[in-house]
Amino acid sequence: MASVNAQIKRGSAELAVLTLLAEHPLHGYEIAKQIEAQTGGVLCFDMASLYPMLHRLERKSWVKAEWKTLSNGRRRRCYRLTPSGRKQIAPLRAEWRAFFNALQSVTGFQNA
Amino acid sequence: MPDWKQIVRKNFRVLGVCSPELTEELADHLEDSYEALLCEGVPPEAAFQRAMRQIEGRCRGWLVMRFFKEELMTRFIREAALPGLLTSAATCFFYWALALDQVRSRVIWLVGGQLPLWWWCLLPICGALGALLSRRKRGSRAQRIAASLVPSAVMGILILLLFAIGFTLSGLVNPYGSVSARVESLGIAPPAFVVIPAAFSLLGAGIAEVSTKTFGRLT
Repeated sequence: MASVNAQIKRGSAELAVLTLLAEHPLHGYEIAKQIEAQTGGVLCFDMASLYPMLHRLERKSWVKAEWKTLSNGRRRRCYRLTPSGRKQIAPLRAEWRAFFNALQSVTGFQNA
Repeated sequence: MPDWKQIVRKNFRVLGVCSPELTEELADHLEDSYEALLCEGVPPEAAFQRAMRQIEGRCRGWLVMRFFKEELMTRFIREAALPGLLTSAATCFFYWALALDQVRSRVIWLVGGQLPLWWWCLLPICGALGALLSRRKRGSRAQRIAASLVPSAVMGILILLLFAIGFTLSGLVNPYGSVSARVESLGIAPPAFVVIPAAFSLLGAGIAEVSTKTFGRLT
């Protein structure tokens, strides 16, 4: 499995997290696990990259965190997307699409 | 079951400064990781070691550094440094405006025209401005006070630096000169530009604090 450079991973992390939270609220561990599972382990976030990013998104008011009691009775800090965060997804997607198209035209690689 | 909260608290004492919720959140993450490993059939000791790897060594360093950079510095800049900068800018502006000939000729000067009394009188506005901005950014009481005192603190540091340089140089030029004479060379600078302005700025911050609380209660 090809590992992804930390710089690329950091840049793409916000889009990945926002897209994931657009479906339903999740807590930190679930976010990390779901991204890892959905990308087949290519993107995996450790605590050092995940939580500072989640708190940064919270400061930008793109996500809102609140303590929720789960079905197993445990309290977890769950993140949900705010309307302002939802608005960020389309421009971020467009930015990444433009980036991949540009890269594709230079390197000639094709999407599988 | 390991006490993850206690482990995180012990390893990340410094992060408690950033956010009290953070230690709990990190402990929850470790607990979930540990339990997921147990469910996969990993023995408890190995699961504990693997979960701990997430907060040990390089990972611990990265986590602390990122939170310091992201949270503490951002908060410090937003809640204390920027309001302090605004207070300093207002203080300098008032001093500059009063030092203009057209303005100076119309205001009363204290002690042979050396100390601008009117400047002191305007300083509560600067102090209040800094404190209010810091409050607006959710700064703590200490940060609000610090924001209003930034100009005096900067002036104090500058005077101390200049005095230290002057003190050393005069000692080199005239080694037999008395120390008291060199200390006297400080003159009225510390009270005029540090102590009294600090008191007036603090007064402004106090007024802002009281009026915010009063109006906050009324509205």
